[in-house]
Amino acid sequence: MDAALIWEWVIKALFLIFFLLGGFAYLTWYERKALARIQVRYGPNRAGPYGLLQPIADAVKLIFKEELTPSMADKVIFILAPIVTVVPVMLMAATVPWGPPIQLFGRTINMSVADLNVGVLYITSIASIAVYGIVLAGWSSNNKYAILGGLRASAQMVSYELALGLAFVLPILLAGSMRLMDIVTKQAEMGWFVLIQPVGALIFLIATLAEIGRAPFDMPDAEQELSSSYHSEYSGMKFALFFMAEYEKMIVICAIAATLFFGGFLGPGVDKWPWLGPIYLLAKIIVLLFLMIWVRATFPRIRYDRLMALGWKVLLPTALGLVFVTALGILLAEAVNPAMLWIIPLLSLVAGVLAVGVIERALRRKEYARR
Amino acid sequence: MTTAAPHDVPHTVQAGTPDLAARFPGLVAPDERSGYSGWIVTADHLVQVATALRDEFGYDLLSSVTGVDYLPEGKMEVVYHAFKTTGGPGICFKVQTGRDDPQVPSLVSVYPGAELQEREAWDLLGIKFTGHPDLRRILMWEGFNGHPLRKDWQEPYYEDEAKPFKSRSPEGHVYRFEDRNPFGDNVRYPEDFDPEKWTPENPEDLLYKSLKTYQAESPDGIETDHIVVNMGPQHPSTHGVFRFVVALDGEKIVNLKPVMGYLHRNHEKIGERNTYLMNMPYTDRLDYLSPMSNNFAYALTVEKLMGITPPERAEYIRVIMAELTRIANHCMCIGSLLNDLGAFFTPMIYLLEERDLILDVFEATAGSRMMVNYFRFGGVARDIPEDALEKIKGLAFERLPRILDEMDRLMSENEILRARGIGQGVLTAEDAIRYSATGPLLRGSGVPYDIRRADPYSIYDRFEFDIPVGKNGDIYDRYIIRLEEMRQSVRIIQQALKQMPEGPVMVGKPQYQFRPPVGESYGRVEGPKGELGFYIVSNGKPTPWRYHVRAPSFINLTAFGPMCVGQKVADTVAILGSIDIVLGEVDR
Amino acid sequence: MSIDLILFLVLALVAVATALGMLFSRNAVYSALFLVLNFATVAVFYVLLSAPFIALTQITVYAGAIMVLFLFVIMLLGAERLPASPALPWQRPLAIFLALVLIAETGYLLLFRQAVTATVSLPQTDVFGSPSQVGTALFNQYLLPFEVTSVLLLSAMVGVIVLTVRKKGERE
Repeated sequence: MDAALIWEWVIKALFLIFFLLGGFAYLTWYERKALARIQVRYGPNRAGPYGLLQPIADAVKLIFKEELTPSMADKVIFILAPIVTVVPVMLMAATVPWGPPIQLFGRTINMSVADLNVGVLYITSIASIAVYGIVLAGWSSNNKYAILGGLRASAQMVSYELALGLAFVLPILLAGSMRLMDIVTKQAEMGWFVLIQPVGALIFLIATLAEIGRAPFDMPDAEQELSSSYHSEYSGMKFALFFMAEYEKMIVICAIAATLFFGGFLGPGVDKWPWLGPIYLLAKIIVLLFLMIWVRATFPRIRYDRLMALGWKVLLPTALGLVFVTALGILLAEAVNPAMLWIIPLLSLVAGVLAVGVIERALRRKEYARR
Repeated sequence: MTTAAPHDVPHTVQAGTPDLAARFPGLVAPDERSGYSGWIVTADHLVQVATALRDEFGYDLLSSVTGVDYLPEGKMEVVYHAFKTTGGPGICFKVQTGRDDPQVPSLVSVYPGAELQEREAWDLLGIKFTGHPDLRRILMWEGFNGHPLRKDWQEPYYEDEAKPFKSRSPEGHVYRFEDRNPFGDNVRYPEDFDPEKWTPENPEDLLYKSLKTYQAESPDGIETDHIVVNMGPQHPSTHGVFRFVVALDGEKIVNLKPVMGYLHRNHEKIGERNTYLMNMPYTDRLDYLSPMSNNFAYALTVEKLMGITPPERAEYIRVIMAELTRIANHCMCIGSLLNDLGAFFTPMIYLLEERDLILDVFEATAGSRMMVNYFRFGGVARDIPEDALEKIKGLAFERLPRILDEMDRLMSENEILRARGIGQGVLTAEDAIRYSATGPLLRGSGVPYDIRRADPYSIYDRFEFDIPVGKNGDIYDRYIIRLEEMRQSVRIIQQALKQMPEGPVMVGKPQYQFRPPVGESYGRVEGPKGELGFYIVSNGKPTPWRYHVRAPSFINLTAFGPMCVGQKVADTVAILGSIDIVLGEVDR
Repeated sequence: MSIDLILFLVLALVAVATALGMLFSRNAVYSALFLVLNFATVAVFYVLLSAPFIALTQITVYAGAIMVLFLFVIMLLGAERLPASPALPWQRPLAIFLALVLIAETGYLLLFRQAVTATVSLPQTDVFGSPSQVGTALFNQYLLPFEVTSVLLLSAMVGVIVLTVRKKGERE
């Protein structure tokens, strides 16, 4: 371990953290602006040109807000919970590759903070840790709404982790590696995985929406029902940390989705000019983020039990089916003919249509028993 | 303005209503006071007569229950108005009892819809309803001193019987009471009550006890704890300061009790002190989302009492305004329902745009966007200005039909709305009638009862329109019905605009103060939220003797608890949104 | 002392401390959290042993899934405050006796069976402990135990469903 390597790590980590912090601030602006345009409004337009200084104003407000701690709360855990929520999110971003390796000062520098050979597994395990912050926040607040909200949120996360994990398996199978860098380079030769496994990408996006608690799966902060649930007792900077965790999670999850299914940093000209890599990845992240905001502006919230039913009864079996289909396609491609790979999108589309059919049938108006 | 009393004829049975005196000889007598109608039932036989009315004569919808305190005669009277859901005029029956310790048998066993209204009568007038399952105060707080609508009740710092208070302008100098008593407390406590020593356990106990009566033993003998959760009064989804207490088994609701009165200002007491015209702006504040409709009902009631009819053009303007209000109200209702379901404001803001255009029309016509104070007895305050009329035409013929179709495409087929709406919060037709539900709530359950058709008032018999009816009585049906009602309202407005004649908008000379003849009058309109009725008793003075509002939001809440049992917590919010309440009207 | 040894000692200290904290904490939620920390420390040990796959699986399965369910149960039952006195009178003597047996066994192993404590040199290849290697081992060498475990888990799941499902006719 030479000193230069440690410096490299420190600098990359700092870059990433600053990117996430700045990204969080401007993601709130981006969301408010995009929502406003969808809803025929202006959105923030007072602080600075186009309201660009709004995030800074918000930050100042949150920092100077009074921090309240309920008297019957469990103080230690009450303070610990927001931290436990934010840190895993930042950790999760470590494995995402931002570009092809570059030569700088005579060294080969990987464009990710940690290029693990089990990168995908790392992401799932860190994501599973993130649940604790929410459970503990709900419990330590000593408030009925908070504890109900915390339990709900964590049950939701644990349930959707299964579908999410299986969706992770699809690119792993296709690339034959858990290293995110390998997955990206494999997409350079095979084409974006979203083309080979479109239904898998869709399941991944749905499951991530649920995993990070965004609309229409925003049970954790279902304001209309539980008055913002697990963080209802939090104020000031502690509240801001929960807020930060949610938005940073959005960014990180979009980065991961872009890496796994949308070709990561790939794009025309990346081989020649490696600095295009981060730009392409950022562009993909922004497009995916807009998708999330769009969904939020459009869909009402799913009720909790139906959300669980969707996770367990629709997404999980479909994802299992997709894993089987993908493995089958890869085997056939190896044994018979490489063109047989295209059996994967066909069969997975069939699986997807079946799943939609199941939902449709469940929703079809029935003669319900009159109470 | 003519004030000839039309009631001076001897009592005859109204055409189309049964002769109760013949059916119950000796138990029921016709009400023969001048200006009154209906039947007086002896208290002991009230339940028997009511059961017969419901089962034999088909008066299945008990619309209004209220009391009147006849202090000079030393009597209390409970007045019931019942209607047939198949249409036609209603029947009014009354029970009289003494003023000291008045007791009347409760009708909850026959008409469960009477529950909240009987509680209100107990709260405000002190009439005990024997056999009522849960007779607690409803609008005032436990521990309130006395019953404020009794004529001998006087508030702290009591000044005068009726407005304008003579004591407030001694020697011609007018002062405001608030200036005289800026920080003093104006609450008087009962004799044995000390606010310092009082702990809030007892009334809460009362409330929670009434929740527990419904708790069922679990079948396998396992003891389970029911969590009691208070939603509100400070809760983002109760549309104001409304509170409901839910007993939960897991996330399933086993019982639910609404708690209201946080916005109570005793509208009816205020109404008794004001002159008739003074009350008009107050009605705007009842259901502040549909003020025109409130004006309409009040004007109709007083006109009925006075025996006058407005000129043709005024009738058309009234109908146009009432239907515009209906559209504005349903815009708000659907928008907030979708919000309650968790849509992030998009449908709400789209619909608010339409509502704003309608409010522009109100502003141009009445001078105010929400608190319109537009109707007068015998007409409306002023004619619609030319440009506002153009705006209405643009809305009715061009914009609204297009926007409504657009909204339909945007929302109706949304999977999540269907999943959360279909089969949730089901209210069967029988239950809806039993709980005295009216408006979209009743029609959503499949009962085609719309007062505009069932018992037409004003000039509604001249228009062609359909009554949308739901099949399943769930949240989704109520939503669809509201959307369809907006389309029908547009149809009515289109026809009214085509037929509207020129002419005056007010009969006679406007006057500030008048004395209607002695008598009673019950007027009702099909408001956006349901049957909005006013019951007014006049004793020939410039102020009404009794002024009662039959508030649809309030009475529709009777069905709220039963609808929620067995549902999830998340659904209560949606169900409440689909009832469409406004707290200004619930608490009055 | 090599840097690895220092790391090991510090981690061992943390592991023991969290284990003790888990045992002695009076609040069940704190106990559960100590246990989570303990699992995390063990995961770091696996990383030190060049087995990142096992390490991350440890975190995902134990810390991420099982302990969350533990916390659920604790919070739902409201059992976070433990009673002051032990619930079973014979529990303490039995625990002491079993602990003594364990110490005796470990002592015997350490003193008389030198071979087990011999240092095993770790193969420093990239393949060791990689997902593919673990997968190959699991599906060839340990196929039968693997399948038996899966059947066991499946039967447990079916059992849970049978226990919780309501009979027809009961109110849904």
